[in-house]
Amino acid sequence: MKQQRLEVLSLLPVVVIAFGLPLVLHSPTYLHIIILLYFYAYLTTSWNLVGGFAGVLPLGHAAFVGIGAYSSTVLSLQYGISPWLGMIVGGVLATLVGVIIGLPTFKMRGAYFALATIAFAEGLRVMVENIDYLGPFNLNGPRGLEISPLNVGLANFMFTTKEPYYYIVLVMLVGVLALTYLISRSKLGYYLQAGGEEPEAAMSLGVNVARCKLIAMAMSSFLTALAGTFYAQFTLYIHPKSVISLDLSFEIAFIALIGGRGSIAGPILGALLLRPVSDLSRIYFGATLPGLHLIIFGIVLILVMIYQPRGLQEPLTRAYNKLLERLAARPAVGV
Amino acid sequence: MKMLEVRDLVKDFGGLRAVDNLTLALDEGEILGLIGPNGAGKSTAFNCIAGVYPPTTGEISFKGEKINNERPWNLCKRGLARTFQIVKPFPSKTVLYNVVVGSFATTEKKPEAERKALDILHYLHLEDKKDVLARNLTIADRKRLEIARALATEPKLLLLDEVMAGLRPTEVDEMVRIIKDLRDKGVTLFIIEHIMRAIMAVSDRVVVIHFGQKIAEGTPQTVAADERVIKAYLGEEYGVS
Repeated sequence: MKQQRLEVLSLLPVVVIAFGLPLVLHSPTYLHIIILLYFYAYLTTSWNLVGGFAGVLPLGHAAFVGIGAYSSTVLSLQYGISPWLGMIVGGVLATLVGVIIGLPTFKMRGAYFALATIAFAEGLRVMVENIDYLGPFNLNGPRGLEISPLNVGLANFMFTTKEPYYYIVLVMLVGVLALTYLISRSKLGYYLQAGGEEPEAAMSLGVNVARCKLIAMAMSSFLTALAGTFYAQFTLYIHPKSVISLDLSFEIAFIALIGGRGSIAGPILGALLLRPVSDLSRIYFGATLPGLHLIIFGIVLILVMIYQPRGLQEPLTRAYNKLLERLAARPAVGV
Repeated sequence: MKMLEVRDLVKDFGGLRAVDNLTLALDEGEILGLIGPNGAGKSTAFNCIAGVYPPTTGEISFKGEKINNERPWNLCKRGLARTFQIVKPFPSKTVLYNVVVGSFATTEKKPEAERKALDILHYLHLEDKKDVLARNLTIADRKRLEIARALATEPKLLLLDEVMAGLRPTEVDEMVRIIKDLRDKGVTLFIIEHIMRAIMAVSDRVVVIHFGQKIAEGTPQTVAADERVIKAYLGEEYGVS
C-alpha cells in the first residue's frame, strides 16, 4: 500500500517537470528537439500495443503516420476541413488499413510478418511518390504537400510558437500511456501477452489470439495516424520520404527494442536515450556522416540484445522497485 | 447423455493415418484412461477433440452437440479444457499471471479473475510460488501449473496429456490424489498416461490404442490381462496383482 503511494509520489515530479518545462526553457531549438522526443515516445508507445504486447514485430508503422498526415492535410488544403477533424478521419482510415493488413499477416510468424509489413509500407510510399492524384485528392507525388501558415489558431491546429505543440504532444503522450497502462491490466492485455508468448496454450485457455491481435492492431494504427496529423501540423510540410519512410518505421522499432518491448516505461526510456543521439548526430555529423545515428542505434541494439534482451527498462525497473521497497520499509519521517 | 462421444474418428496427416476409426465415449463424472505405445495416436486424438486439428472423418460430440470444427477457444468457453504433453507456460510471466489468463475465460473483471486464480493455486499447493516466473519452475510445478490454468477455465471435461511424466513417485501419488479429488468435485477426466501404476489406480475404464486403432477397452484389470495389450504395449513381464 505504502509502496504504491510512493510510486505515485515519485511520478509527481516527472509530471511537474514535463508540464513546467516550457516556462523555463524558451529556446525554440531545444523545445523542437523535446517535442520530437515526445512525438517518438508517443509513436513507440502506440506501436508497443501490437509490437510489444501482441508479440509480433511490425516494421511498417510509417504507413499509418503517412495515412494520418496525408488525410488531414489533403482535407484541410482542398476542402478547408479543420485538421482536428482530419486527424480523426486519418485515424479511422488507418484503422481500416491496419485491420486489412492484419487479417492475412497475423497468420505469419516472426520475420515473415515483419517483412510483410515492410512491403506494405514501402509499397504505399512508392505509390504516393508516383501519383499526383488519388481520385479527387491531390497528393502531389514526391514534391509533397505544403501547408501555408495563414490561419493560425487552435481551431486550425497551427501556431507560431513551439509551446502549443509541446503541450498538445505531451497530452497525447500522457493519454496513450494511460491507455497502455489500463490495457496492460485488463483482460485484453492478459490475452494479448498470453497469445504473444504461447499462442497454442492461449487458445486452449479461451483466447481468440487472432482477434485480440486485430483489436491491438486497430488501436495501434488509429493512434499512430493521430501522430501523423500532429507531425504535418508541426512541420507544415509533408512528403512521402518524411512520413512514410522506412527510416521512421525502423526508428520506432529501435526505440522499442532498446527501451524494452511490452513494457510501459520502455518506449519512454528508449526515446530519451535514442532521440538525443539522433539529433546530435544530425547536428554535428549531418554533412559528413549522414545516417551515423542509425549505425549507433545498430551497435546499441546489438549490445542491449546481448546483455539485456528485455530492454533497458528491466534493470532500471528492478532498481527502482528496490529503492521504493527500501523507502517503504523505513519508518516514515515526513514523506 | 454422454459427456464426450467420439465416433469413427479418422485423422490423416498426408499419407499417414494417425488415428484410425477410433470410437469411445465418456460418461459424466467418469475417469477414462487412454494408453498405448509411443506414436499410437493418443495426443493426435486429444488434439482433434480439443479443436486443434479438424478430424479427417468421423464425429466428435461434447455434451450432445457436434464439435467437429469448433475452435479451441470456443471449446474452452463451453467447458472443455486440456493440458499439453510438452508443457507450454507463458514463460516470462508469473505463476499467478499464467492462471489469471485461464480464469478470464469466465469473467471480465480482473479482481475476480485474480481471486479465482488464487483459490486454484491454493488448491494445488502452488500458492507460495505465485510470484515466481513460470520459466523458473521445476518440471513438477510446471505440470501442476498446466492443470491450474486449465482448471481456472472451470471445465466440465478436462483432458490431461501425460501430466505425470517426469514426476517423482511421491509427486505421482499427489497427482493421483488431485485427479480423484477433481472427479469428486464433478469434473469428467480423460487422461493419457504412461505410468501404469497411476493410470490403473485412477481410471474407471481404460482404452488402449495401437497404430491409431482401438485394441482393447474395459476396466483396468481386464485391459491389463488382455493378450493383445500385453503384446503391443505392456510387455510380457507386466503382471497385475
